[in-house]
Amino acid sequence: MLESLGTPDLPIDECPRRARMQIDLLLLAIEALDLGGGEAMLATSQELALDRIVKGRVHLWLLRSSNPMRRYSQRRPMSLDEAKALAIIICNLSRRLTVLIRQLLLGHQQLVEKQLSFDHHFRLANYLERFRSHFRSRMNPRRAGVIAYSTDEKLDELAIQLLEKLLICSGVLGTQRLWTSLFDGEVV
Amino acid sequence: MTVQRQYTLPNCNLVLEGLSADANDPLSPMSVLMNVECQLPGATDVTLTGGREFLEHLIAAVNHYAQQILSGITRPSAQTGEVPLPIAMKPGDGPYHHLIVRQQGLEERPQDTDAMAPLDVKLSTVQFYDLVEAIDQLLSDSQTLPDLQPQFQAISRRLVKPAEPVAKRMAPAAIGAAALAAAGLSLFFLPPPEFEPAGSTEQSEDVANPDVPLSSEGPETSEAMTPGAGSEDGISPTSRLDDNGLADAVAGLERLVDAPTITDVGVLAVLQRDLDRRLEANWSADPVPDEDWTYRVAVAENGDILGYKYQDRAALENVETTPLSRLAFVPVDDTEPVQEPVAQFQVSFTPEGEVDVVPWGETAAALASEPADGDIEARDDDESQDIGAEASGSDDEGAAGSGNTAVAEGTLPDLRSPITDAETIRTLNSTLYDSILTDLEPLSANEVLEYQVRVTDTGDIVGYEPLNAAGLLLVDETPLPQLVTSAGGNADQADYRVVFTENGVLEVSPWDGWPD
Repeated sequence: MLESLGTPDLPIDECPRRARMQIDLLLLAIEALDLGGGEAMLATSQELALDRIVKGRVHLWLLRSSNPMRRYSQRRPMSLDEAKALAIIICNLSRRLTVLIRQLLLGHQQLVEKQLSFDHHFRLANYLERFRSHFRSRMNPRRAGVIAYSTDEKLDELAIQLLEKLLICSGVLGTQRLWTSLFDGEVV
Repeated sequence: MTVQRQYTLPNCNLVLEGLSADANDPLSPMSVLMNVECQLPGATDVTLTGGREFLEHLIAAVNHYAQQILSGITRPSAQTGEVPLPIAMKPGDGPYHHLIVRQQGLEERPQDTDAMAPLDVKLSTVQFYDLVEAIDQLLSDSQTLPDLQPQFQAISRRLVKPAEPVAKRMAPAAIGAAALAAAGLSLFFLPPPEFEPAGSTEQSEDVANPDVPLSSEGPETSEAMTPGAGSEDGISPTSRLDDNGLADAVAGLERLVDAPTITDVGVLAVLQRDLDRRLEANWSADPVPDEDWTYRVAVAENGDILGYKYQDRAALENVETTPLSRLAFVPVDDTEPVQEPVAQFQVSFTPEGEVDVVPWGETAAALASEPADGDIEARDDDESQDIGAEASGSDDEGAAGSGNTAVAEGTLPDLRSPITDAETIRTLNSTLYDSILTDLEPLSANEVLEYQVRVTDTGDIVGYEPLNAAGLLLVDETPLPQLVTSAGGNADQADYRVVFTENGVLEVSPWDGWPD
């Protein structure tokens, strides 16, 4: 499964900064969508026999902490295989959540059209609130990348963007699309 | 034989008509395309139709745009010259996207093309996704046009447009140049400073508050510049400590002028240890320095080396033999000032082949008050920390541990009076093993946790130092913090290597190996 994703032509053999941030944020959005998201990530990694790469809870946490926005950000590099495994897990989980993601995006579109606040859609409001609280509890508020999301509106916008990305990830070629996009502007 | 393939999604209906390769075999793939129809119910009543060229343009436009949404990076358009692409996609207001189709692909009537306005289809995200999905299903279908393969490619670094216009990016540099010119002009009228051999006292004053000039732009900094500017090489001992010397930074220290400083003692300790270890691991000590080579190094919170600057001539001449240039993080845009918090360290490569790392301004009196601030801040952080669903429980404890037990945990000083008696070392080894094992509970780690543990001759544990990141984070799961006693005083001490393997096995061995 890992072989289906090509190796990008990077100057160094590890996952670039933006890709590490992107992966962690998409996983964060999945957690906000699905209460058992964290468990589902581990379960998926076992189902897909990726647990030789993502070796359990602490390792998954260490990998996600390579996101420089995190409070306890790790200087640990993320190898390309680890990134591939996480990309596959993201796409797999988003496929299971497609129906919900479509509902939320449709609801979002309708509310924007009618210029109503997001509180009118219970599930959407719920997702946004969970995303905001996850984001605030895990990210380092003193980082420049995080300061940009200091308001509720900015965080909601980010949460919706991530939802759109997850929808594209859920397609038949979602994994390839996500994987390639992680290295936009990074390859030589 | 004519074949038809249909890809149906709630908001998109893609129908292909073509000829199969082998008319007698119903299973042979469609290899020649005659006609494509694409309906987007809900978005437009127009049915988009065309041939192979239309399909290829549609695929290219949709792929281009979908990748742009995923990465958030604007991709350069494939458009060549003045002629716009027949099909393009653009972002719209709010949750909308626009599919723009210029008509020449739709109908085979080239004479009308100029007259007809392009068709603009407004798609919601879900509608757009259905179009993407229909195309993806077609691309991955080996029974239809097998020569059409999914081809995604990340765009190259040099094709990415900078997010800010050139004028905005150049502004800081222009202001800097103007300020330098103004300073130069005003200093022109000042007499050159007289050289005083007994300048060492002034130097130490400068060292005493190294952080002050970093943030302030008071008049004294421009005065401090004169000796450096006046000397021949700009790296004379007087200039090395003044802050405007930052302008000669070897690797981008000038970007750090506005960066906030890291004050959390716990974080500083981790960064210091990490930097020390990485430099030692990467330094071959060849050639061996005949004096200390000292550098000032700025490190980001995640450990990236953001910049460094030599502190004397020897350090400048030998900078290439140190690992600094290899380890430094090279930013894509090195004119952009760093906004993230940084810690500064003084790094010395000694003639003994060792690397010494001390926080910049360690010598300063300011240090006496700083740890207290750091402690308070660390505690605040812990309180506000919400224990998340993932393994963040352990990270809270890890951080609290690094702050509170700073005396027992942290970099262990060199042993003053080591225990040398072989029998005592063996006995202490087993005592230590037993006392850790008694309190050992299953660990959640699946990485090895390694510590250096210091023990007195009576078997009391007086301190420990985590040797890897996992060890630092999960220290509170181990019995070590509870076992530390402040007793010991001047007693003889010995160091042991304590390892908790990922399978939960405890290993204890003397730090310098088993005695003969």
